[in-house]
Amino acid sequence: MIEVKNVTKRYGRKKVLNGVTFTARKGEITCLIGVNGVGKTTILKAIMNLLPIDSGEILVNGERPDKHLYDKVSYTPDMLIVPPNLRIGEAMEFMADFYASWNQERAEEILTFFRLNRDDRISELSKGNRAKVNLLLGLALDIDYVLMDEPFSGIDIFTREEIANVFTSHLVEDRGVLITTHEINDIEHLIDRVIILDEGVIIKQFDTEQVREQEGKSVIDVMREVYNR
Amino acid sequence: MKNYIKLVNFEFNRFFKIYLVLIALTVVVQLVGAIYEGFNYVDFAREMMQNQMITMEDFVRDYGPMSIYSFIKTIWFLGPVAICVVTLLIYSLFIWYRDWYGKSTFIYRLLMLPVERIKIFFAKVTTIFLCVLGLVSLQYVLLFLEHAILERIVPGPLFVNLPISSLLNFDFLVILYPPTFIEFLLYYGTGLVFLFVLFTMILLERSFRLKGIFLAACYGAVALTLILAPLIINDGVGGYLFPMELFLIEVFLIVFIGFVSVLLSGYLLKNKVWV
Repeated sequence: MIEVKNVTKRYGRKKVLNGVTFTARKGEITCLIGVNGVGKTTILKAIMNLLPIDSGEILVNGERPDKHLYDKVSYTPDMLIVPPNLRIGEAMEFMADFYASWNQERAEEILTFFRLNRDDRISELSKGNRAKVNLLLGLALDIDYVLMDEPFSGIDIFTREEIANVFTSHLVEDRGVLITTHEINDIEHLIDRVIILDEGVIIKQFDTEQVREQEGKSVIDVMREVYNR
Repeated sequence: MKNYIKLVNFEFNRFFKIYLVLIALTVVVQLVGAIYEGFNYVDFAREMMQNQMITMEDFVRDYGPMSIYSFIKTIWFLGPVAICVVTLLIYSLFIWYRDWYGKSTFIYRLLMLPVERIKIFFAKVTTIFLCVLGLVSLQYVLLFLEHAILERIVPGPLFVNLPISSLLNFDFLVILYPPTFIEFLLYYGTGLVFLFVLFTMILLERSFRLKGIFLAACYGAVALTLILAPLIINDGVGGYLFPMELFLIEVFLIVFIGFVSVLLSGYLLKNKVWV
């Protein structure tokens, strides 16, 4: 379980996260929702120890993050994080070199799943295919949790569908997924838990199934209520 | 250790193309320069001897002989050396900032590697250091080649055959090619500590951004002051310390600054640097 406990973060005078507390469990897809600049990406970076927090605590499987964190959790930001002059195969070799949790068989499977060519140079790929490469490098690790930051941002509808298909495949089975997105339509039916953020504060968190069954509302309906739209 | 070597290899491969350009530039410019300077000197000597009706001996007495020492003071030799030094200095900054501001934000991947983050620091230091050693070695070989080229072009009476070993005692070459192992440790150790300090300053800036620029400037200033203080104070009190005492104090301070820089960088990379 990823436990975010009372986390506060300031950028200068601006409080970006204010006492944020939630958990993300294995085997569930948890979605962080909110308009731009509410602190969604900050939370993911804080979990990955890519950003120091001012107060609070973050635990992964009950432990504070250290170098072993990266063999348990992968993070896919919404930008390219491997040198673009590499070929896809070289980027895979780089990952295999450093991560004990790298699963070559799974990597080959994802390569086929996304119809990517290992000889293609990353700099020459479309934005959608770059997003797929990022996901490939994150998902091919034998890890407990996958963190994805806006995986559908700025990519065409067909690529979005392909990426959304990942969530229904065995590639994320039994893993915990924590995802931030604006494009809730693409994965609304797949999400187990939603956390709505506003101005660095969690204003609502709920189980989607419960809301659907008991209140007959979709995630978007709840968002409209929360934001008065 | 294995991860550290892999990181060094990866970092080196990222610099490899620029490095090859530097090597090619140095080789081509210096060898062409040696040929040009050799022929130029011979032409000049011939012209002077004809115009002034003087002998070779008179010419050598009036204008001086040609030697490899004359050549290393020309732009042909110093130009590529300066370009290599400046490029490596710029790359020492670029090696970090590229990971934040390059075509990809590779710093995410670097910081998320399941290795101690200080290894990233050491891998970058090692890459720069290996590049320096490589270029210094290349320059050593080139000195012999340039000497051979000049010797072949310039007639015997006009050429002073200085052994390369004696050349290495001149000017900046004594720093590049220290005559003793202790001096090697001193010069190259100081260079290494300079890199440690520079990288720590970069990491301070990357950790605290605007405030970090101020902190980095302070850190650099304190490091410099610490190194210069014994020299200045000793001068001020009229050379109270023996040279060996001063030397040992300097060595201690350089090692101390290097040690603090590594510790501070390790702390910053682990707890403060952000993306």
